[in-house]
Amino acid sequence: MLGRFRYGYVAPAALLVAVLLYAPFVWTAYLSLTRYDGLEPPVWAGLANFAKLFDDAALLTSTRNTLIWVIGTMVLPVGLGLLVAVLSYDIRGGAWFRVPFMLPYALSGAGLAMVWSPVLSHDGIANVLLGVDTAFLQEAPANTFAMLAVWTWQQLGVNCLLFVVGLQSIPREPIEAARLDGASGWRLFRHVIWPLMRPLTAVVVGLALVSSLKTFDIVWVLTQGGPGRNSETLAVTMYKETFVASDYGYGSAVAVLLTVVTGLASYLYLRRQVTAT
Amino acid sequence: MHRSRVATLGVAALVLAACGGNGAGTPQKKTELTLYNDKGAWTKYFDEMGALSKQSIGLGMKPTGYTDSAQYQAFIKASFRTNVKPDLFTWQTGGMLAEIVKQKQVADTTAVWQEAIKAGDLSPDLAPYYTVGGKQYCVPMNVAYWGMFYNKKIFDKYDLKPPQTWDDLVKTAETLKKNGVKAFYHTSVLFSFVWFEQLMAGTDPDLYDRLSTGKAKYTDPGVVQVMERWKQLIDAGYFINPGDKTDPGDVLKTGKAAMVSFGTWFNTSMTTRSMKAGTDYDFFVIPNVNPALPKTSMIFESGPLCSLAKAADPDASMKYLKWWTTAQAQEKWATSRGDVSANPKVTISDPALGTVTKDAGGGKYRLVNRYFEATPPQILTAALDGFGKFVTEPGTYKEVLETIQKEADEYWSTHQ
Amino acid sequence: MIRRAVLVLLGLVWLGPTYLLLVNAARPASGYDPASAWIPSGDFALLENFGRAVEGANLGGSLASTALYSVVSPLLGVLIGALAGYVIVVLRLRHGFWWFLLIFGGTVFPSQMLLVPLFVGYSDAGLYDSRLGLILIYTAINVPLAAFVLRNFYSGIAFSIFEAARMDGASTFRVFWRIYLPMSLPALAAVFILEFTFIWNDLIFGLTLTQTEDVRPVMTAIAGLMTDVYAGTPVPVGLAAGLVVSLPTVVLFLATQRLFARGLSLGSVQ
Repeated sequence: MLGRFRYGYVAPAALLVAVLLYAPFVWTAYLSLTRYDGLEPPVWAGLANFAKLFDDAALLTSTRNTLIWVIGTMVLPVGLGLLVAVLSYDIRGGAWFRVPFMLPYALSGAGLAMVWSPVLSHDGIANVLLGVDTAFLQEAPANTFAMLAVWTWQQLGVNCLLFVVGLQSIPREPIEAARLDGASGWRLFRHVIWPLMRPLTAVVVGLALVSSLKTFDIVWVLTQGGPGRNSETLAVTMYKETFVASDYGYGSAVAVLLTVVTGLASYLYLRRQVTAT
Repeated sequence: MHRSRVATLGVAALVLAACGGNGAGTPQKKTELTLYNDKGAWTKYFDEMGALSKQSIGLGMKPTGYTDSAQYQAFIKASFRTNVKPDLFTWQTGGMLAEIVKQKQVADTTAVWQEAIKAGDLSPDLAPYYTVGGKQYCVPMNVAYWGMFYNKKIFDKYDLKPPQTWDDLVKTAETLKKNGVKAFYHTSVLFSFVWFEQLMAGTDPDLYDRLSTGKAKYTDPGVVQVMERWKQLIDAGYFINPGDKTDPGDVLKTGKAAMVSFGTWFNTSMTTRSMKAGTDYDFFVIPNVNPALPKTSMIFESGPLCSLAKAADPDASMKYLKWWTTAQAQEKWATSRGDVSANPKVTISDPALGTVTKDAGGGKYRLVNRYFEATPPQILTAALDGFGKFVTEPGTYKEVLETIQKEADEYWSTHQ
Repeated sequence: MIRRAVLVLLGLVWLGPTYLLLVNAARPASGYDPASAWIPSGDFALLENFGRAVEGANLGGSLASTALYSVVSPLLGVLIGALAGYVIVVLRLRHGFWWFLLIFGGTVFPSQMLLVPLFVGYSDAGLYDSRLGLILIYTAINVPLAAFVLRNFYSGIAFSIFEAARMDGASTFRVFWRIYLPMSLPALAAVFILEFTFIWNDLIFGLTLTQTEDVRPVMTAIAGLMTDVYAGTPVPVGLAAGLVVSLPTVVLFLATQRLFARGLSLGSVQ
């Protein structure tokens, strides 16, 4: 009786995504096999753009930086977000302790750069506080770490919020039972709470994985990938090749590479996490 | 169940209510034009122009501003293939203009130019930048002359005068350095090309022109020498840290650097910071490096305002472009932003900028097309990155030039 | 006690840049000096700065449209995503993991690359410069996130709840609407906040798919002031603009705080 109707429940989601996100990407995938400047009709180029990927030193830097972003995101915005969530979820007024972390999330990217410029400037606040003399956005990979710090400032709150939702969804009974058995503190967390909040942990990590692989905005507003391409991520390389240099073919090839990597990473992660839950 | 249906209906109603906006199917005779531009921050000034044009020629104008010029250009190019046709749009001179003219997308403005030159509304010196294959396209949306903005208070304090020769300029920088003041601003993001073009144009403007047309190489001795001179200036400690994120307007205002080189539009940054020309800051033309050159080279920048050959109402668009060049329109456009104008009749309120504009219009300088417009996008992208790297690590200049040349070789092999 | 101390300490670090934002957005436009950015100015010029930022720009229609997008799209997105999550996990749709992967796959594409094809497609379909067009794309972007969160959220809920409700004769949709949806209120709210903020701050889709002042999101009018060197915007004016347009999001955070307080959660129903 339910059989076919069930597809009606999933259809709106599948359709929207397929028509508005998958279909446009088909065009990009096609362009990656051509030479195209946005004006003259695309010329078939076979796999030439993909061959160029292996011959591009800048792509190596982008890949390295993207990797830093992925690992850094897991440690900082996600890890610290978990910490804040765990520390605050069951204390009185815990929600108010989280407010300072939520506020930065409201700020748009352009505003972010403006707020942080006096901090990161050559003779700025961070230099005074840390007692050093450096321009944080100059040398690689230090500039990526500096941007990661800014990113953590902005993103921690939202990761924390999702963890809180995960913590709240845990049934009380197992925790009470464990408490009766004498578990508390770290042991209670490690052996009872952590396994139980796994569904939402999978969400936070999964989303962070995808978004960190696609890191673009923060780099674009702070360094535009420079100086000398040393802070580019894969998404920044893709954007620059496509829109700034008008080399749509090569830019699309980078996009396809990025998409395949992101898709594969999330598939491997989700298969383990999601099918287990 | 009942409540849920009501809620569903509510959402549906909201969605239906949302189907507003203007669709396609525009009328043939327009009374209001849309001006697409990549100067999203100028919306206010465009709006004022729209109100003025409605009053004087009965044709209104609404701006649609973008904030990222790369994304903007991709959008305009894509629009050629669709039925979304901008009535007017801003663009770039140089290769970018030639590219879309070749596609037969841009309306010919030769008649507008001839009339405007005859009426004295446009200087014939500007025409070459708007000429492709003997015909003119678009009209100047803005013009800018590049020179040096300097902090007058600092100059006065150390009894410095605007330099007349290149040696004077270096001496000035040296004096400032001795007093613990950084002389020059530069940056590794986007505007990393400024000192390259300035030194090139002041040393060998012909080589600069050949470089932008692929007839010279970045690895040629003349270019290498320019990079070496640039490196000397950096090594001498005249520049602030290129990674500093401080807004250049604030750099000059607070005296972090005593001099900032930008186009005349930078004046807006001064006026919005309540700085007074002549007392807080001033402007001088940068002297040539090579004193033997017959004329002082001046970097020149002009952004075109264009209309499409297949615009919805070509007559209205053309009428608008024509009005745009008139003294009445330009007076408003220049003064509202504290900038200079392409129309020589317009009086510029700022005396220093007024003099520069008048002299430039009178042929006193050798105008050199700004690097940003003169260089094809692919090479430009590599060059901006390269110069960004160079200002951070000046020792890498040879490697930087080679990287740029590699991109140039690839480009010119298919675009000669 | 240690927990509170750590939270307060970390919170203070986080408030540092927020403090900079507030102090400098309220500073008179001509009084900004990066070297002394942390010293508050005696004057309060926030409103004046904001006034300068939006001077001449007709934000009225733009604000209403932005509010429409940032409320309707997340609502639709959350609902459609929750429904998908529900059918996959609770109704145990066949090949559910693959359906889920298909929907979640919508997030892997770099959004910058969707712009040109979307623009071309929208202009062919007559969706360019329409509010419906923007609602559609924003909803599509939000669906995968909502589906992911709610799929996993529902997977943590005991199946016996569903069975009990079905025994009482409720339809599957009724079970979704009356039991599962209310139960996931904190998760729905978290997703809504995320999506609201994303849309409210979105620049790229708003810029590329619209043209008329009334249809364009408000961010498109503000962003140029903060990034374009041709604008010459003094830092306090840019910051004031950024601060004021962020206010609705902040209000939303504060208004929903209660939902994330321990004890209100219904997820613990067994």
